[in-house]
Amino acid sequence: MTTLDDTVHPVLAGTQAATSTAPTPKARLGDTWWRHIVAIIAIGFAVFPAIYVVSAAFNADQSLGGASVIPRDVTLDNFRELFNPPSDKSETAYPRWFLNSIFVALFTSFFTVLLGALGAYAFSRFRFKGRRMGMLFLLLVQMFPQLLMLVALYLIVLRSGEVFPAIGLNHLVALALVYLGGAMGVNVWLMKGFFDSIPHELDESARVDGATPAQIFWGVVLPLAAPVLAVVGLFSFVGTFNEFAIASVLLEVNEKRTLPLGLQIFIDQQYGERWGPFAAGVLLAAVPAVILFAYLQRFIVSGLTQGSVKG
Amino acid sequence: MTTVPTAPPSDYAPSLLARTIAAFSGGTGRAAKLVGLALVNALAFWAIAELLTQSRGLWALITLAALLALDAVYFLPGLVPAKFILPGTIFLIAYLVIPIFFTVITAFQVYSTGHVLTKDEAISAVQTQSLQPTGVSFLMSPARTADGTLVLLLLDEETGKGAVGDGDGLRPLPDGTLETDANGVVQSTSADYTLVPASELFSLDTQLARYVVPTEDGAAIRPEGVQTAVELKPTLSYDERTDTFTNIETGTVFTDNGKGSYAAADGTELEPGWREFIGWTNIGAVFSDPLVRGPFLRTLAWTIVFAVSSVFFSFAIGLFLAIALDKPGMRFRRLYRSLLVIPYAIPGFLMLLVWAGLLNDDFGVINKLLPGGLDRPWLFDPFWAKVSVIMVTTWLTVPYFMLVSMGALQSIPSELTEAARVDGAGRLQIFRKVTLPLLMIVVAPLLIASFAFNFNNFNNIYLLTAGGPAAEDQSVAGATDILISYTYKLAFQAGKGQDYGLASAVSIFVFLIVASISALAFWRTKALEGVR
Repeated sequence: MTTLDDTVHPVLAGTQAATSTAPTPKARLGDTWWRHIVAIIAIGFAVFPAIYVVSAAFNADQSLGGASVIPRDVTLDNFRELFNPPSDKSETAYPRWFLNSIFVALFTSFFTVLLGALGAYAFSRFRFKGRRMGMLFLLLVQMFPQLLMLVALYLIVLRSGEVFPAIGLNHLVALALVYLGGAMGVNVWLMKGFFDSIPHELDESARVDGATPAQIFWGVVLPLAAPVLAVVGLFSFVGTFNEFAIASVLLEVNEKRTLPLGLQIFIDQQYGERWGPFAAGVLLAAVPAVILFAYLQRFIVSGLTQGSVKG
Repeated sequence: MTTVPTAPPSDYAPSLLARTIAAFSGGTGRAAKLVGLALVNALAFWAIAELLTQSRGLWALITLAALLALDAVYFLPGLVPAKFILPGTIFLIAYLVIPIFFTVITAFQVYSTGHVLTKDEAISAVQTQSLQPTGVSFLMSPARTADGTLVLLLLDEETGKGAVGDGDGLRPLPDGTLETDANGVVQSTSADYTLVPASELFSLDTQLARYVVPTEDGAAIRPEGVQTAVELKPTLSYDERTDTFTNIETGTVFTDNGKGSYAAADGTELEPGWREFIGWTNIGAVFSDPLVRGPFLRTLAWTIVFAVSSVFFSFAIGLFLAIALDKPGMRFRRLYRSLLVIPYAIPGFLMLLVWAGLLNDDFGVINKLLPGGLDRPWLFDPFWAKVSVIMVTTWLTVPYFMLVSMGALQSIPSELTEAARVDGAGRLQIFRKVTLPLLMIVVAPLLIASFAFNFNNFNNIYLLTAGGPAAEDQSVAGATDILISYTYKLAFQAGKGQDYGLASAVSIFVFLIVASISALAFWRTKALEGVR
């Protein structure tokens, strides 16, 4: 996955701070006032664009210029307009774009986790000829972001579509399959690191009880690896959800577009007339990723740090 | 890598997930495997049949070989690791390895607008395009002779003379044999020919489109639709033996110029051309062609400036915030952290589109918030557009480095800073001599990774400025285009024609640069030692 190439998962590192809240005496305000000031100023910068989006989404004035921070007339018109676009915005297909994005992101992240975990299990648990070469090969190919092969990917999907339309241009499955080209690579490294930390004694005892490698994988290793699966899934989901370049080349029809393509074309410099509905669209689009973030924090906090940061 | 195994809790109670998974092991699992393999085999056989009907034998063979390999891996005992690695590898090969291979091949080809066909396709396209009407046109009805051969009954629109045409040529028919009915459709009174009924005409569509009735001087009558035909005469004649086109009137000879076109001595080329291997031309152009080298070097320089400064500012601010919040027992610390992470939790493309609005000249909020005299044409001036791009990227990346630095600061043993203080070091001195070096051990590889990521950060450029504003040299590359967005525009934005070949050559350069950076990163972190 090209967009996932920042190989590090900072949330994990951050949780170290969260988990080590040793019972220390409350610091006095005298020592910490400057810290509070720095934090509050930084928060101001961090959240003000988000505040503008929220206010514009509920504001009756559809123009960016006219929007005041605190909406005078709170209304849901902007949301209504997204789902029932008036004739001058009739090319809007927001619900479709949304579903397309969710479909591609879920499909990609599910199979990324599955394919990555299968590969990582083999590299973690078996000793076979070419194992070291395989790991190095994965490291090598993931240095080629798929973004750099746009032309080739476009031509491949174009040609495949001439024979099998279902994996050709303008098909969401084709886009998701292309994304799966990046499912191995860095994910295998990350997951292998975590799998290595799951004691081999567990496999051994399962094997003594007559379990096959497949049963050990599904029944022992995978459930214990839930945190790393959650994190890889989350980052794959968000990365796919964000992806613009490949999608823009493979999807040319309006009702097949994903959210990044759709929203970019929707706003297209028309800040005067479309800012309100656009902001409403942004707000709704942010919901799935933010929910995933909040929900999966549980997994992330539960000790992924040991698996990945150690590597 | 020394991994201390973290033992799972001893009172391990299987979660719902675990129990579901366990339910699918054993007999159910084996059944699922068989069903899955059956589906894959059915799909593959269908694909092979489909490929064969479209006469793509090579790909049918490749699919068959892949299927046999797959079945061998899953049905034979042993080869256990392969069973696990294969599924992901299939996608890796199809959508990563093969594209890499194609990219390299394309970089050595002329493959652009006007050069997308194969040579054979181009030859027939040139021939078709050289046909000029001679002015003779016919009303036409397809008909069959007694033995079923398809012929054309042709009624000359000017002279009113009838004729029958087939692959051998045109034979005149006695006057009165052909007449038009009330609808203008040619009817025949001759018993030798039966008209093709209207219901069958559509199925003859492709056959008619290829039907040629040769006449004199290389001219030929070709159907246009199902009711008319025209006589066309080529202006160019193709000689297969010498592989040349000759202009019939002027005698100019067009030869294969080795660059995917037929060209005359004076350089005029016939259109369309075809894709052709041209060796190092594309790659050489990046070095020698001033029209390519200029934008490439300018874009490369800006890409480095963009990536370095984005990482630098993000890290500096992120670290500062981490230090400010690195005070155990500080009130609201967790609240502050959750609020500061907001730019990171929201999908980036949304906030980029929002920032493009906020920085807009006419409507943008930024210029309104800034005190008078500080407003700027943020996105429409080359310099300020660059500032904006770095600023927004920093805004998006600070939380990442804040979280990373918080973790890293926690991992520095307090004994070290204590010892330095006892030795009489000042706060700043402790930071510079103790904290920062220790921090860098953890953070340095992340800085390099982040640099490599921003080097190809397509979204942050394209969604904010779309690479604009236009640069002074009027090339495809705008003032804020980085190499990857420049490549994208070369290949997919038709304004100045699409050039897949050059785009692939540029992406190979991008790869070489990124690969060297990654190599440096892995060498620094010695990640390779992790392969045990």
